[in-house]
Amino acid sequence: MIYFSQLDLIHILERALRRTDLPIYFTQGYNPHVKISFRSGLKLGVTGKIEVVLYFSEKVDRERAIQKLKEHLPMGLNILKGSQMSLKEINKLRRQAK
Amino acid sequence: MDFAQFRRPQRYIGNEWNVIKKSHKGRIPVCIGYPDLYELGMSNLGLRIIYSILNEESDIVCERVFMPFDDLSQYLKENDQRLFSLESKTPLNQFQVLGFNFNAELNYTNFLHILELGGIPRYSHQRKDVIVLGGGVVNPEPIADFIDIFVLGEFEAISNDLIKILRSTSSRQARIEAFSQTPGFYIPQLYSNNLENNSYLFKPLNEKAPKSIKRVFVKDLDNSYYPTNWLTPHTAIIQDRVPVEIARGCPNLCTFCQARKQYYPYRQRKPQKVKEIIKKIYKSSGYENFSLLSLSASDYSYMQELLDGVLDYFREQRIGLSLPSLRIDDLLGPLQERLQRLKSSSLTVAVEAAQDKLRKDIQKNIDIKQLFEAAKVLHSFNFKQIKLYFMYGFPNETNEDIIAIADMLKELLGKSNLKISASVNVFMPKPISIWESQSLEDEKILEEKRALLLNSLPRSKRLDVSLPSTKSTILETLLARGDRTVGKVIENAYRKGALFCGDNERFKWAPWKNAIEEEGSAYQKILKTQTSNFAWSFIDK
Ligand code: SF4
Repeated sequence: MIYFSQLDLIHILERALRRTDLPIYFTQGYNPHVKISFRSGLKLGVTGKIEVVLYFSEKVDRERAIQKLKEHLPMGLNILKGSQMSLKEINKLRRQAK
Repeated sequence: MDFAQFRRPQRYIGNEWNVIKKSHKGRIPVCIGYPDLYELGMSNLGLRIIYSILNEESDIVCERVFMPFDDLSQYLKENDQRLFSLESKTPLNQFQVLGFNFNAELNYTNFLHILELGGIPRYSHQRKDVIVLGGGVVNPEPIADFIDIFVLGEFEAISNDLIKILRSTSSRQARIEAFSQTPGFYIPQLYSNNLENNSYLFKPLNEKAPKSIKRVFVKDLDNSYYPTNWLTPHTAIIQDRVPVEIARGCPNLCTFCQARKQYYPYRQRKPQKVKEIIKKIYKSSGYENFSLLSLSASDYSYMQELLDGVLDYFREQRIGLSLPSLRIDDLLGPLQERLQRLKSSSLTVAVEAAQDKLRKDIQKNIDIKQLFEAAKVLHSFNFKQIKLYFMYGFPNETNEDIIAIADMLKELLGKSNLKISASVNVFMPKPISIWESQSLEDEKILEEKRALLLNSLPRSKRLDVSLPSTKSTILETLLARGDRTVGKVIENAYRKGALFCGDNERFKWAPWKNAIEEEGSAYQKILKTQTSNFAWSFIDK
């Protein structure tokens, strides 16, 4: 059971990513932040799965990234599966979703 | 307990990143508390310092408790359950030591509420095992009946003594005796402090009680403890950034200021040390925002050197940095170019009094002309807004001084197109400030001045003004300056339901008014400073 809102989850993931030494992709501009997008929502206080897209500025080793991230996720959050996509593939998925 | 039934369940879970969980077996269990909600308490640096220092010791387990919101309070009462620590959910009455960090007098009733919910006897003389410590107060007397031991001064300076005493014995009585012989600790039950012939007479009640009571301070800030294993919440807190303290105390002499004396003397941390702390905390937390903390950043002698040493790091890691207490001269002076490289934040200026003469009286040393100069170039700093602080109700203040506040805001709105937020407070003669023997202005006059200010303020969507009620100022002054009789008023108002009095929206005067009447408190004497010394005069300056 986890008790945080989706907004909290963004911060939790951002801070977890920042604690790893993975090459995080930051948005441009005055107020750069870690880019994270969700492919499904999550309700407060509910056990469930959620699909999250994380962005890196260069190619990372999938296993290593999952391992690193797992080390920095708080109790109650786990990575069940991770797959790698190029930006092109992501954009294609997005278009299909619309 | 299913926390999902409460608002913001993260307040009670205790699963933050870097949280410390130890078994209680064979350890001295300590719980430290803050008499306000989680979001506020977690923004308090002092509490974090204490938490980390105590948990460094392998034979001590230190956990946390905050003021629960109404929903949890009600649940605990209805189900006859005790308020618990966040880490292990242990009821408060199972700890050997409870320590509260007070930094706002208006939260005293919240503290009584935490005690009650935790099953801790309210009065010191009723307690058998647990010890209740209090710190962060300047004038301990209003809550002297509820606290067993006060820490006067800075925790880092007494932490070794505290740990030693806790280890030496597990008896409440023996511990209290040991504390009474140690500088920096004050045991109110060993003394009486009554008003006789218009003066406070501080008397030891037994021979062993030391006659003089001292505040203690850290001497060397560079080598004093700083928490770097940063407890990182999973939900937003009020100050959602990591404060890195660059200096403690303040070399300025503003007459109304309590903090300069509370954190006396002025001490600075070397830039190299600050930089190390920043890097360690970022690595341990991943926090995206930092601020350089001090009462007056402009007086920090190594600011250029520090910024040169950290700005690149902040930029590479995309960390936001704010410098909340800079003076305007820095924006126009040699720091200008460096400051322009910061991620956007807000500019804060404590103007206090809008007219030069009054500002000189209160020894607030800033050049207002520069503020207007700066307003023109502010857009080049990525600032989102200007925050201004003002005060009224000073001795010898005129109506022109009040109108000048409104005029200054008008002029600034014209010169810059940023949002302006102005926070206007009433001058309170706080203990140990230079003006501690001034009086609080009459209520009627304060109300008139408040109305005058409200009527003269410019109307603009870009301007946001906050003004506390006159009644809450009166209460805060009473709680700050009070003697032991005020403790009865606090207890009475608490029984009448006064809670969260520091929250403007929840503050109600009625329970306090009735409590003052029922207890027959001579509160005007305290507000008007009609005594020849004060309830706190016994503490060595
Ligand atoms: S008001 Fe600020 S600048 Fe003035 S003495 Fe106090 S801390 Fe220093």
